[in-house]
Amino acid sequence: MATSSLRDKYCIVGVGETEYSRHSGRTTRAMAVEAVRKAILDAGLRAADIDGMMSYQNGDSTPANWVAPDLGIRLNFYMDVLGGGSSTEALIGLAMGAIEAGMCRAVAIFRSMNGYTEFRIGGTGARAAQPVRGLDLAQVPFGMRSAGQNFAMTFMRHMYEYGTTSEQVAHVKVAHSKHASQNPKALLKDRVTVQDVVSSRWIVKPLHLLDCCLETDNATCVIVTSAERARNLRQRPIYVMGVAGRVSKPRTDFHWAHGPISRVAGYYAKDIVFGQAGITPEDVDITGSYDAFTFTTMLQLEEYGFCKKGEGGDYVSSGIIELGGKRPNNTAGGHLCEGYTHGMNMVIENVRQLRGTADDYCPKAADGVHTYDYGPRMCRQVRDPEITMNLGWAMPPTGSALILRR
Amino acid sequence: MTTRPAPDSRGPGRAYWRSGADGVLRLPRCTACGRLFWYPRTHCPHCGSDAIDWVATGGRGRIYTFTVVRQSPEPFFAARVPYVVAMVELAEGPRVMANVVDCDVESVRIGMPVSVLFEDLGEDIYVPLFRPAVGGAG
Repeated sequence: MATSSLRDKYCIVGVGETEYSRHSGRTTRAMAVEAVRKAILDAGLRAADIDGMMSYQNGDSTPANWVAPDLGIRLNFYMDVLGGGSSTEALIGLAMGAIEAGMCRAVAIFRSMNGYTEFRIGGTGARAAQPVRGLDLAQVPFGMRSAGQNFAMTFMRHMYEYGTTSEQVAHVKVAHSKHASQNPKALLKDRVTVQDVVSSRWIVKPLHLLDCCLETDNATCVIVTSAERARNLRQRPIYVMGVAGRVSKPRTDFHWAHGPISRVAGYYAKDIVFGQAGITPEDVDITGSYDAFTFTTMLQLEEYGFCKKGEGGDYVSSGIIELGGKRPNNTAGGHLCEGYTHGMNMVIENVRQLRGTADDYCPKAADGVHTYDYGPRMCRQVRDPEITMNLGWAMPPTGSALILRR
Repeated sequence: MTTRPAPDSRGPGRAYWRSGADGVLRLPRCTACGRLFWYPRTHCPHCGSDAIDWVATGGRGRIYTFTVVRQSPEPFFAARVPYVVAMVELAEGPRVMANVVDCDVESVRIGMPVSVLFEDLGEDIYVPLFRPAVGGAG
């Protein structure tokens, strides 16, 4: 399927985030303000240069038009959309569209959430008290409600069809924990083994505790503007080569009833995003794959063509996805180890990797000076990456993707 | 004492959740394209027609996929872990969601033959469940 392309016409020029914690003690509004302000400063922009703002949320955050005034920003465009995972990439595409349409010039996109202390995705707290509606109608009588339960059916079928094992997929957690050990911001900095993962307690088959991502409090922000403007700003411009957003499988409300459920939305998104960018998976140096669970990373990498369908277990256990491997994934530790932001921290990490300024333990990391020693508490900068790809994911039937270059 | 969370039996789901009153599992069928589907909708997910009727099934099928839940936020289910949630592919084609009961959770496998039974929740709601089938998938 051919779609039009805005390849290389827009850039990510600023990134910012708060601490990743389980105890923010702050409002989502205060955290959003901090993340947006840091991204503005990172870009070398003034607050008045931002005239567009977008966010995504699930009724658990503060809208853009309440955040902007705290920074003295008057907006020409703002929009807050419903949703979690797969939103970051989609909103970057929408921001490009708003600028292209002449609606505004620079858009700050944020996600602010107290994902541990207020609104836990795991199904407890405020989320569990929500009324049953929509997708849940045919599931609640059977005790099917949390994210892990919803995903598990797909993972079980993949294991059945392709022989994928728990031990293979545990390597995703092993790799991300290795990367997090080189990330001062990461909530979990300890490296784990395959045995640690498969001997942790069962949550919902085939997910052990360590197959599941963190729940954290944090805000994150990226700023999008035109390439023309980006060339005069503080940071090396990071160009958007291609973007696909919230691409869906048939029957998104109950996809288990239709088609092969071991297939995920990347099957439909890959031609859009690779078509725009004019590249193939072999050209990608770093991936940032949504790791709500170890299995989600494995499924996306195979569906986007980094390996053959069904060979994801072999791929993620081969060493390719680790720092020092051919194509490392989630070099900051991702949702399994760094913190949970519904996808945005993996985009921020790829921007920093392309700039050459991954904020690791190297003393002069901010100046782009790295040791490339991937031991614990050392370096996590990949040597000279040119192209990165983010693979965003919401529930099993929806996905997004973003290809960036330096 | 908690009770099983009830489905929303308004709208197109009404006939499905009532179907078990006589022990028979029924599915919606599109009279335009002839195909059965689940879950119940006002329009056919295959062709978009709103000409829907209901047909009886044999209540037998095989497990297409499943999970064993060992931690649940719902009080009713938290008291019943571990439990199995499965997509059962009925002999007539469509896949339906249900718990698999009356067996050791560790014995459940994809491809296993199962047959329907119903739990009466009162208020004219009968929740379909499945258990290992005697005599195969039928």
